[in-house]
Amino acid sequence: MKHFDLIIVGAGHAGCEAALASARMGLHTGLICLDRNAVAKMSCNPSIGGMAKSHVVYELDILGGEMARNADFTSIQFRVLNTSKGPSVRSTRVQSDKAAYSKRMISIINNVTNLVIVEGEVSGFFCKSDAINGVFFKDGREFECKAAVVTSGTFLEGCVFIGGCKFPCGRFGDRRSYSLVSWLNNNGFKMARYKTGTPPRLHKKSINSTVMEMQNGLLTPCFFSSVADELFNLNEKIDHYNKAAMFHVEHFTDCMMPWSLGSGQIPCFLTKTTGQTSKIISDNLGSSALYSGVISGTSVRYCPSIEDKVVKFCNQSNHHVFVEPEGRDSVEIYPNGTSNSLPEDVQHRMIHSIPGLENALFLRPGYAIEYNMIDPTQLTSYLESKKISGLFFAGQINGTTGYEEAAGQGFVAGVNAARKIQGKSPVIFNRLSSYLGVMIDDLVTKGVNEPYRLFTSRSERRLFIRQDNAKYRMSQFSSEIGLRNKNFISSIEKERALINKEMQRLGCCLSGSGQTLAQILKRPEIRYTNLPEIDSSLSPKVIEQVELNIKYDGYLEREMREVARLDNLEAVQIPDAFNYDGISSLRIEAREKLTRIQPNTLGQARRIPGITPADIAMVRIWLHREESLRS
Amino acid sequence: MMTGDTIAAIATALGEGGIATIRISGPQALLVADRVFYCLGPPPSQRPAQTFAWGHMHDLERQIDDGIMLIMHAPHSYTREDVVELQCHGGLIIPRQVLRAVLQAGARMAEPGEFTYRAFINGRLDLVQAESVNDLIRARSDRAVRVAKEYKNGRFSKQFREFYDHLLSIASDLEASLAFHEDELPQTVLPDILNQLELIELKIFDFLKNWQNGHYVREGISLVIAGRPNVGKSSLMNALLGKDRVIVSHQPGTTRDVIEEFFIVDGMYTRLFDTAGLRNAECAAEEDGIRRAYDVLRKADIVIYVVDASNVIQNEDIIIIKSLPTKRCLLVLNKVDLGCLVSNPLLNDFRTIETSALLSVGIKEVVREISILVSNFVQLNSFPETIITDRHWIILSETRKILNDGISVLRSSGDQVIAANFVRLAINSIGNLLGRDTTDDVLSSVFSKFCIGK
Repeated sequence: MKHFDLIIVGAGHAGCEAALASARMGLHTGLICLDRNAVAKMSCNPSIGGMAKSHVVYELDILGGEMARNADFTSIQFRVLNTSKGPSVRSTRVQSDKAAYSKRMISIINNVTNLVIVEGEVSGFFCKSDAINGVFFKDGREFECKAAVVTSGTFLEGCVFIGGCKFPCGRFGDRRSYSLVSWLNNNGFKMARYKTGTPPRLHKKSINSTVMEMQNGLLTPCFFSSVADELFNLNEKIDHYNKAAMFHVEHFTDCMMPWSLGSGQIPCFLTKTTGQTSKIISDNLGSSALYSGVISGTSVRYCPSIEDKVVKFCNQSNHHVFVEPEGRDSVEIYPNGTSNSLPEDVQHRMIHSIPGLENALFLRPGYAIEYNMIDPTQLTSYLESKKISGLFFAGQINGTTGYEEAAGQGFVAGVNAARKIQGKSPVIFNRLSSYLGVMIDDLVTKGVNEPYRLFTSRSERRLFIRQDNAKYRMSQFSSEIGLRNKNFISSIEKERALINKEMQRLGCCLSGSGQTLAQILKRPEIRYTNLPEIDSSLSPKVIEQVELNIKYDGYLEREMREVARLDNLEAVQIPDAFNYDGISSLRIEAREKLTRIQPNTLGQARRIPGITPADIAMVRIWLHREESLRS
Repeated sequence: MMTGDTIAAIATALGEGGIATIRISGPQALLVADRVFYCLGPPPSQRPAQTFAWGHMHDLERQIDDGIMLIMHAPHSYTREDVVELQCHGGLIIPRQVLRAVLQAGARMAEPGEFTYRAFINGRLDLVQAESVNDLIRARSDRAVRVAKEYKNGRFSKQFREFYDHLLSIASDLEASLAFHEDELPQTVLPDILNQLELIELKIFDFLKNWQNGHYVREGISLVIAGRPNVGKSSLMNALLGKDRVIVSHQPGTTRDVIEEFFIVDGMYTRLFDTAGLRNAECAAEEDGIRRAYDVLRKADIVIYVVDASNVIQNEDIIIIKSLPTKRCLLVLNKVDLGCLVSNPLLNDFRTIETSALLSVGIKEVVREISILVSNFVQLNSFPETIITDRHWIILSETRKILNDGISVLRSSGDQVIAANFVRLAINSIGNLLGRDTTDDVLSSVFSKFCIGK
């Protein structure tokens, strides 16, 4: 029988990160998918990043994930959103060439030793005393393995809806996976049906962009990767070419090569729906899969379909449609904002009522898709099943939506599955220092009641958790995981030391007015370069951190005070499989919830909906008691 | 419950006993005491353990009471933390005012059973007692929950709900503008946010100001002594206060200004006003005094109308008595030592007491009647509920402070995220009170208001 250390089921954004992390950590890894050419597919929108999601991409990059580089290498447009609203919500978004994104990821995977792509449909796992020790396929093949990560995305019992038509698909035109569902059911996993959707795809040549507003990228690209300078030889190139020629992206045909000059960024376009669009949609709601009651799954409120928009916001006469290219050489256009599940002929009329899309040629209709997910409160803070040792879950199957959310979880699951096999303790991301931590803690503590998407408002410390300081926040974790080289980590530590030293100096150094330089820098109109005595040897990155840390000082402290309550409880660990039934005075409801969720710390316990401070106090007393009895 | 911060609570049964104890425990206990307890010599934090000192308890604005302070240094206290105990006069109001001052000075309201909890965590109690601590917390929190539930149906809850919804709408505007790109937002939401913040801040300010119970607690009950000249108003006031505060003479019109003193009825802080006798003034100064007397009379919570019992009732008296609210008025028939000639059917509508202020006859009865009148319109609630009320007051005051910080950030065109964080703090503090998951509510509100998200 074939043997792997770790098996990854599914090769989407979660699966790829999990597989790469595991293989790079030295484990023999099998990446199982239904189609070896459909790896890391961007099934929906052609962009990576955006509000709060970009934070995760930056965090992953420091930790050793692949998403950041892959997006940089295949980008056709760079933008920074929210530049005027403060550094903590500033976020990078790149439009990526979908085909190149997938192709480059496949090349990376094929070039990593220890990592093999295997085609097939997984039907279940072999377990020995509630621990994974193998995997079996629908076609009868069996592999041995020590752990597994399930990243089935929308493929688990996936079902596509277009108007009255219903197709069993994992993605339009792609076979779904079915047999794993009964295994999960038989093993007691609580599951539900979720729904998401995607707009139609149109032919580039059939679009009249002259009547639309053009949206260009930034002339100087903003990369996700922390070593973009090296990857793209930026310094050297800036010397030779003027900035206006800056762009990036290697050519489609050779996506493993660093980008070269010669191809500019590609613009997006903005248009709006009309009253006619709304009318067509309202007249045909009865035939929409979403509104006719065919779909029972819970849908994404954060990504409303065009039917939803028209019904819920009937006063709004028009809605934005972003016309986005799917790639440099691709003829496909993604009309962002028109996701729907109307019958195809209605979709045609609806799209044709939008200025600039009157003659749009359909390459594929929009559709809704329903799929199986598991209740993520069945997982630990490192995404392992509480029930079956060695079985991890990541991505859309945990109830999230979005490439970045999936990749983040995939990485965490992959790293921790690998560490488990290596006999190392899990790496748990704290919600006070990363969006990765916020997301996973929300999922496993509160559970989900609709597809989960990251927002900056989900974090208690969003002034601190910024994309500009991702490397300083994540370096400790990265060093523990060990995927980035030591020089990289030590260069971060060196920078951190410089930042602290400079902050200290500014805090002591007095200006003529008797104020410290730090006090002067706190004023909104003052920049570091305006200060009387500056250290000209410092790099712009270091200066940015010094400036932000000082300007935010009081607010960060306040944020920290607010979460001090959390932090305090966060430090109190609850042993695995703690017996809450032993606490006789604990309410039955609390006992049931705590037993089910099995929080790692009192802080996590406190965030479980319905748990009161009195419950926490009682658990704490019991923890003390057990500790004293042991010693 | 957490440990590490400083907590405070009234440690004695509320409403009973002549003396009440406010216990403060935690690392900041002595600093908190510095802010509320003024005494001769060094401030509490500079004093040694086992100090026993007399002094005055203050809040930010005024003196509340005088009393005793005890200092215990960690670990030689029940909780094994620094502990300060303030002993003040008992009753329903004074201890709460002191507690409120202590909370304003930086302590946090103790959760039910928290002192005992800390005593346990810090090793004061042994393991055998763990179960009983649990039961204690359980019992008290059940009671608090029950009261909180009852409270939810009350008018305060409705008001809180309104504040919450208003803040929610502001928060969702701000969050939407942060979570989505300008292109995606269908309408301009920001310019209105500052106005809305100022509006809700003002609403909360008004609410705090007008909150009757809170008002009585903070401002005291105003009790006005009125009557025609020379009926013995000032003598009555002196008798009530037990000291010669007001110049008394047989000369009518001696009191020309409104004289204010405070005394305590049933633990209720009461402001006592002696007024100029009501008659047609004989000089400008007296006229001014009488005008002010009418002014105070109109605003009074309780009126003690004094009539000279030794004379037949005057027409002026009848006119004024007719205008007085019977439920808030006490008629005092003074000078009974000189005989009682007063009789009028009108008087039957009122509670009446016969006194001789000069000879201190009937004064106790007057005090008793005052406390009955007070209880008519001040809802002095039983223990846990009053505590919750106090918490609400503190929370709203803090919310206001936070909103002001947010407003000043927006005004100085600062970072929107910082402003949004302040609004979030504000909404969290009220949301916690209502048991809401604010993160979820804000996101729901964003997506029900704005058609965004691709």
